[in-house]
Amino acid sequence: FDHNISPTIGASFMTKTVPCGNELHKFLIWDTAGQERFHSLAPMYYRGSAAAVIVYDITKQDSFHTLKKWVKELKEHGPENIVMAIAGNKCDLSDIREVPMKDAKEYAESIGAIVVETSAKNAVNIEELFQGISRQIPPLDPHENSNNGAIKLGKQTSQTGRRCC
Amino acid sequence: MKARCLDKRGSFFKLIDTIASEIGELKQEMVQTDLTVEDESADLRSLVKDMDNVSPEKNDVKSCPRDSGYDSLSNKLSILDKLLHTHPVWLQLGLNDAEAREILQAQPPGIFLVRKSPRLQKKVISLRLPSDCGSCLKEFAVKESTYTFSLEGSGISFADLFRLIAFYCISRDVLPFTLKLPCAIAAAKTEAELEEIAQLGLNFWSSPANSNPPDPPAPRRPVPLDSACKDSRQLCLINGVHSIRTRTPSELECSQTNGALCFINPLFLKVHSQDVGGSLKRQSPRTQDVNGAARPRSPPPRPPPPSINSILTSPQLSRTIKQASMPETVNHKKERGLDLLQNKPTPIPPPRLKKQAVSSEVEGSSKNTVVIRPGCSSVHMPEAAGVPGETLPEPTPAAAKKTVASSSESHIPWNGGRQRLSDMSISTSSSDSLDFDRSMPLFGYEGDTNSSLEDFEGESDQESMAPPLKPKKKRNSSFVLPKIVKSQLRKVSGVFSSFMTPEKRMIKKIAEMSQDKRTYFGCLVQDYVSFLQENKECHVSSTDMLQTIRQFMTQVKNYLSQSSELDPPIESLIPEDQIDVVLEKAMHKCILKPLKGHIEAMLKEFHTADGSWKQLKENLQLVRQRNPQELGVFVPTPDFVDVEKIKVKFMTMQKMYSPEKKVMLLLRVCKLIYTVMENNSGRLYGADDFLPVLTYVLAQCDMLELDTEIEYMMELLDPSLLHGEGGYYLTSAYGALSLIKNFQEEQAARLLSSEARDTLRQWHKRRTTNRTIPSVDDFQNYLRVAFQEVNSGCTGKTLLVRPYITTEDVCQLCAEKFKVDNPEEYSLFLFVDDTWQQLTEDTYPQKIKAELHSRPQPQVFHFVYKRINSDPYGAVFQNNDDSAS
Repeated sequence: FDHNISPTIGASFMTKTVPCGNELHKFLIWDTAGQERFHSLAPMYYRGSAAAVIVYDITKQDSFHTLKKWVKELKEHGPENIVMAIAGNKCDLSDIREVPMKDAKEYAESIGAIVVETSAKNAVNIEELFQGISRQIPPLDPHENSNNGAIKLGKQTSQTGRRCC
Repeated sequence: MKARCLDKRGSFFKLIDTIASEIGELKQEMVQTDLTVEDESADLRSLVKDMDNVSPEKNDVKSCPRDSGYDSLSNKLSILDKLLHTHPVWLQLGLNDAEAREILQAQPPGIFLVRKSPRLQKKVISLRLPSDCGSCLKEFAVKESTYTFSLEGSGISFADLFRLIAFYCISRDVLPFTLKLPCAIAAAKTEAELEEIAQLGLNFWSSPANSNPPDPPAPRRPVPLDSACKDSRQLCLINGVHSIRTRTPSELECSQTNGALCFINPLFLKVHSQDVGGSLKRQSPRTQDVNGAARPRSPPPRPPPPSINSILTSPQLSRTIKQASMPETVNHKKERGLDLLQNKPTPIPPPRLKKQAVSSEVEGSSKNTVVIRPGCSSVHMPEAAGVPGETLPEPTPAAAKKTVASSSESHIPWNGGRQRLSDMSISTSSSDSLDFDRSMPLFGYEGDTNSSLEDFEGESDQESMAPPLKPKKKRNSSFVLPKIVKSQLRKVSGVFSSFMTPEKRMIKKIAEMSQDKRTYFGCLVQDYVSFLQENKECHVSSTDMLQTIRQFMTQVKNYLSQSSELDPPIESLIPEDQIDVVLEKAMHKCILKPLKGHIEAMLKEFHTADGSWKQLKENLQLVRQRNPQELGVFVPTPDFVDVEKIKVKFMTMQKMYSPEKKVMLLLRVCKLIYTVMENNSGRLYGADDFLPVLTYVLAQCDMLELDTEIEYMMELLDPSLLHGEGGYYLTSAYGALSLIKNFQEEQAARLLSSEARDTLRQWHKRRTTNRTIPSVDDFQNYLRVAFQEVNSGCTGKTLLVRPYITTEDVCQLCAEKFKVDNPEEYSLFLFVDDTWQQLTEDTYPQKIKAELHSRPQPQVFHFVYKRINSDPYGAVFQNNDDSAS
């Protein structure tokens, strides 16, 4: 939970502004439900987005598998050139980790995604995550003034794991 | 009419008549009648006196048109009016640097253009500098915020570009000197004249109209100074004597020393302005001083009262300013009223308006409102009134200081009479009102204001010019009007209709234009609306219909932002980043509003026809029977009361035609849901929790209409808004509804055991595999051909051979398939009834096959691809075969 992110209505839609070079990127972060039940709605959320953050829980191997499914779906049906980032959340609980950092890194490399381990709870690496995405998002038409839609696919339903960004 | 000595009386009476009738109007608009009456009498009296006093002067000035103010009545063009009318001349957004330079080079200093600098990507005022300044022109960038226009470096903001320019025609603020209107425009007395000038557009600058100003600029400068000095002296004298004369607003400053009473009558203002325009005789210098010196701050838009404000501290007041400012006088007339009110004051506008204000609308421009105040009402009043001539000046300022908030009037006691003075404050309602509405930006300036604004204090006449006075008052609070006051103001009259924000005015204007079939825009809109209403069959689906409408709105918006039909151009009234927003709202008003009923009916029709309405209805019932957990909800849900509240919001939503407003309501619903979710748990929830709750809530609301509402919003909302929060929650609501709509199906799928699912999968597989097996039809496209030997079926191949493929082609195919090196030695044979027939190249194997099949008694037959006789190896066979056959 990052203080720079301001929810107005609720935590499922947020905006975040990230300085990148001499311009500001404004992220409009659309959270989508990760449950199977809502899977069919996901395309509505990632349509037109410039980046996707796919979050898994480092303490749950399952979530890493699910993540792969999302990556596959995004590759097949997502917008072209979407920037993908994989966030292994709950890095504060690394003692009960199930997914080795190495696995995530290798996987991310294989799909050309940004990878970072984060802690939503302690706001670890979240800034870095967005900066990384910012750098990869192609420069926009100046008139658009850096409005990037970024979408987070909140995959896990686990309680503390939800990252809002 | 000129006021000549001879006609003096006549014109005087006419004037009185006019005044009387105006007062009558005022009365009607007055909030407090009693006060008014008093004022009237006072006014009349004072007028009379003024007239008398004036007359001598007139004699001197005879030839000049300036008169009793009678002329002014007919000539109500203010600077603002002039600017509005002639924007095609000075507002040249498309002009580049070089073109602007070329035009301005030929103009006297002070002349300006407003354009959009391609370099800065901003609007700029290109101002012609005096030739001794080095470069001949300088650019001043216009800063546009969400609500206001201002010059960079200045703290004063304006509701629109016209007001900004009008202000800078009177007060220089951050400019080296005030802006100057071309003589032809400054001197124009009627709208028709202005129109004529406007017709010239950019050509005005090179036209004779521009070069033949009534008052040649050159002479002007010197004149004003002299005259100013004289005037001021004269005034002093007069004041000393307690004689009453009519003073133009500009003159007021001079009188301040004496604690002169300030009686500002709109009529006189006009007169004054006229004078200025026509023969700038006297006042011009002063005005300038004032303007230059005083920066009215607080009231953002308002120009400072020309005559009244002077700042001691500011060096500007000095004569130099006067000289430079010559042109300003012209402007005065317009602004006078406005300035006075605003500057002055008046922090406490509200009370004054309420109690005592009488507003009359200035005919010429609805924008200026003249508020006439009876002297007594204001706090200051008593003091001012009480003190006779000499003493007055000081008390007034003091009072002013004390009551920062107090009204803006200037109080100048009448010297001559012991009568009371009536204060008049003139305000431009439009600008003020704007400020109020959007007061936020303005407040920021309060601090500045204090210093710069002052009441008019008495100035000493001493110098020819009015010496600048120190600003005594603070204007801080002046613009904050209590709501009540505002509402009362609104009631007052049409004058106050100008209280609308520029945005609202623009929308209203566009909406009116859309009704006017004489405009191209009006035709477009009207034709489209009636076309849609009359041709229900023109769309195949609801989405198709809504998308077409959306597209139309977008196109019309583009048209409006580029066409010249909007006059004045929207860029001059609305800050650039708001233009699209304003146009979008206008589209809703002129297109969606009339179409709303039709769209709803059509949506309903479409959904009834395609069964989705029924499907939703059935599933809605199913979902409603589930408990929250079954829907994936594991957080607190809204209770009955909350659901009722939400329903009310949705019902309100149904009444709106603007998709944006509907979305606002949807956001409120979402907020409420979130509040319920979070209130009870104290943590933040993401979509994983929100979406199920939203689904649950939508089901509980049990409103079928939501479906069409959401469709309406999704398709008609400005696409640029779809990325934001509104778009997000709209997407979520759409998703939730579609889950509901497909609930049954989803449930069905969910209920299948894995076994069943497997079965299903197998069944599905089977079905698909079956499909790959050629059907009878497909068979007709295949031909089984044996190679070399009749009996060696295993060497045969099934070839794809279409009905109209000839034997020749089949032979080629066979050569390929059987990898024959010398295809010319092979041919296709039919072996039937134990006989071989070589098929000629132009026969159709499939036809032959079909014919054989169709024989009553099916015979065994084979197509064989083999060597022709000549072939040594095959020859044997062939021969045998042949012999056999």
